[in-house]
Amino acid sequence: MRIKVNAKACTGCRLCRQVCTMEKFGEVNPKKARLRIEAAFPEPGTYRPRVCTQCGACARACPSEAIIRDDRGVYHVDPERCTLCGACVEACPLGVMMRWEDGVPYKCDYCWRCTDTCNTGAITRVD
Amino acid sequence: MIFGFGGNSIRINLKTQDIQRIPLENRFAREWLGGRGFISKILYDEVPREADPLGPENKLIVTPGVLSGHLAPTGSKCCFGAISPLSNGHGDSTVGGHFGPELKFAGYDLLIIEEIADKPVYLFIEDDRVEIRDAAKYWGLGSIEAEKLFKEDLGEDFEIAIIGPAGENLVKFACVSHDYGRQAGRCGIGAVMGSKRVKAIAVRGTRSLPTYDVKGTLDFTSAIIKRTAVHPNMAPWQKYGTAMFVGWANEHGVYPTHNFQTTFFDRYAGIDGQPLVDKLLVSNKACFGCWMNCGKYSKVQLPGKPVVFVEGPEYETGALCGGNCGFDRIEDVAYNNWVCDNTGIDSMSGGGIVAFGMECYEKGLITREQLEGHELRWGNVDDFEHFVDMIIYRRGIGDWFADGVVTAASRIGQGAEHFAVQVKGQGMSGYDGRGAPAMLLSYMTADIGAHHNRAWTITMDEDLGKNVIRGKAKVVVYLQHIRPFFDTASCCRLFWGEVDVTAEEHIDAIRLVTGWSDYTLDEAMRLSDRIWNLNRAHYLERNGGPGRKFDYPNARFYEESIPTGPSKGSKLSLDDLNIMLDEYYEARGWGKNGNPSREVLADLDLHDVIANLDKIGMLAELTTPLPQVRGERYKPKAF
Amino acid sequence: MTLYLKAGGMLREYLQPDVDVFTRRVECTEGLSLRDILISIGIRPVHVAMAFSGDRLIPLSHVPSDGETITLRPPVQGG
Repeated sequence: MRIKVNAKACTGCRLCRQVCTMEKFGEVNPKKARLRIEAAFPEPGTYRPRVCTQCGACARACPSEAIIRDDRGVYHVDPERCTLCGACVEACPLGVMMRWEDGVPYKCDYCWRCTDTCNTGAITRVD
Repeated sequence: MIFGFGGNSIRINLKTQDIQRIPLENRFAREWLGGRGFISKILYDEVPREADPLGPENKLIVTPGVLSGHLAPTGSKCCFGAISPLSNGHGDSTVGGHFGPELKFAGYDLLIIEEIADKPVYLFIEDDRVEIRDAAKYWGLGSIEAEKLFKEDLGEDFEIAIIGPAGENLVKFACVSHDYGRQAGRCGIGAVMGSKRVKAIAVRGTRSLPTYDVKGTLDFTSAIIKRTAVHPNMAPWQKYGTAMFVGWANEHGVYPTHNFQTTFFDRYAGIDGQPLVDKLLVSNKACFGCWMNCGKYSKVQLPGKPVVFVEGPEYETGALCGGNCGFDRIEDVAYNNWVCDNTGIDSMSGGGIVAFGMECYEKGLITREQLEGHELRWGNVDDFEHFVDMIIYRRGIGDWFADGVVTAASRIGQGAEHFAVQVKGQGMSGYDGRGAPAMLLSYMTADIGAHHNRAWTITMDEDLGKNVIRGKAKVVVYLQHIRPFFDTASCCRLFWGEVDVTAEEHIDAIRLVTGWSDYTLDEAMRLSDRIWNLNRAHYLERNGGPGRKFDYPNARFYEESIPTGPSKGSKLSLDDLNIMLDEYYEARGWGKNGNPSREVLADLDLHDVIANLDKIGMLAELTTPLPQVRGERYKPKAF
Repeated sequence: MTLYLKAGGMLREYLQPDVDVFTRRVECTEGLSLRDILISIGIRPVHVAMAFSGDRLIPLSHVPSDGETITLRPPVQGG
């Protein structure tokens, strides 16, 4: 189970970020999204979506074992155990361990809202 | 708090450096909706009638409307407005991309920029922080290079609206650029920004946009996304964008060729959408929250020129910087597009005015000496680039052209006005109206001059009879209400026009984000009618009357017949134009002189306008009853 | 022979789909060009800016084969 990225198909529309925050936070604020799009303009003129691969680097970096893997293989942050140290954010190789202001870090939990919405094939759900 | 909106306006006085934040009032927001609506009302109320468009009293207004920033089909737009230096009347121009949404995420629906800075500045907006900053470092740079530099300096997630050297040098058809190739192109808003010495507006917003029903909006628009994803028009749109219509426009004899001398360019195959996709395409580029991605991002290298990246060419550029200037290779058109974008001129007016220069050169009205030893030949990239350079730096006769096609024609004289293609000073869009009379009427009557986005009628012209004059005005009026409505709400028109998202569904989206449960399409159309009448009155108050005298194109469109192509022989006479105008004024509830009547203004509750027009003796007398429904929806029917 | 034509937007109102909301089944003589077929069912070529067979762009002079599905795209309502 993963999100497959086809960067060539990304158009930089950020619909994924928009629906992500609406779904997960009930807010209209794409800056809070759990995935990113890197834009390289004016040259070479390409976009690259960055999405969580559930690689576990965040969990390994967490000193208080606050990031736990569920039986789908998806990592979740336990806000009770989190000490707000930020080690997970720094450890994430793709920059998708997110933090809003000084709150508890949060991440993609494969709700599939973004992949259901993207219709260019830039991000797709693979089971 | 007002749902649907950022919630604040800012008034920035560049002279005193005073920055005022004023909460947006719900009543004002609902009454004018944002975008074109806010612009129309504020310009009318605040800019003195004698104010020079490029002087301190003109105001630059930047406003995303109600749907901008929302998950709606599609809330990507931002309107830029000011008194236009081209028409000397209300001007507004809309840009897609991410700028409008970003302003709303910073909490703003309206920037009103007043007076003139004493040195080059840019506006820095990051949520609550609003600053006027020094822009010496960026002044003089091209739009594309300067935008890149701003992003390097401020951060990649700042959205930038910027002018190029053309705007700095007050070229009257300068545009405002954004996102490396999107423009608020028309009406010369870039010149107004340049006159205020504002190089750029940089914005980053991290606020949540207050939304009445987030889940409802998510479900509603997600269903539309699913439905339209399989629409037969969607895949072609995603693949080709608008460029493919070069071929179609030629096959139907409406394509501007050699400065609108004819309407068919025999070598169009080289500049159609297919060569664009095959040879130049780098990536598809979409505006904020749009799943149609009509933007095509291209790379081109011509011999002896730098490698350039450009968004486009879109249809309008492909027409006006393409066949209209005699270019038959897509690489050349893309390069011209980049020249326009980076120097900061509107590629429509820019292509139009270069074509006018080319025809003057062909006819011997301007000489090689006047062109600094260069030529100005059809289809020559070096000539195109050099001439644009003369214009944007106002060298020699470039100075005449920088003031627009009307000024250029009057300076050149010798009958050049005849083929100076424009209405109200605004160069014409990429469709020739002689083979489509309603389209010409649309140009003639548009509030900002000869622009196509108010009403586009080519297929309707064909349906009702290519050369039929009567009966078309009502449809133009209807289209002039529905199409600019999307600019008022600041969403893209294409979902309505191309993939069957209805106007009513756009109203549903407005209800969901604002909570105005009783908002209707009728209310929106009445707003369009109000804006139209307000802009007309404003035009008359600034320019005198009667209105009719401003509603004619240059003489080529009623004196010459189309010499070649599928529309060969089509010709409109001045009588034809007058018949169309008579029908149009009647459908609008205006007098035969083209001035609004007391009755129509009263019906639209524009009582202050009645008083103002009355004072200068410009209220029309109606000889027929006021039409209760102004405009008529066109339902196509198979014959 | 049988041909399936798909269209949306304003073009749909001319096409009068009968198979699903976008598609119309057309019976026609073999050897006719797409342009002739369109005219025979009351669609003016001006309403068709582009035609596709699958992903492939085809001209209106294209001669369809039996069972082919062709998607028609109307002109942009003002570029």
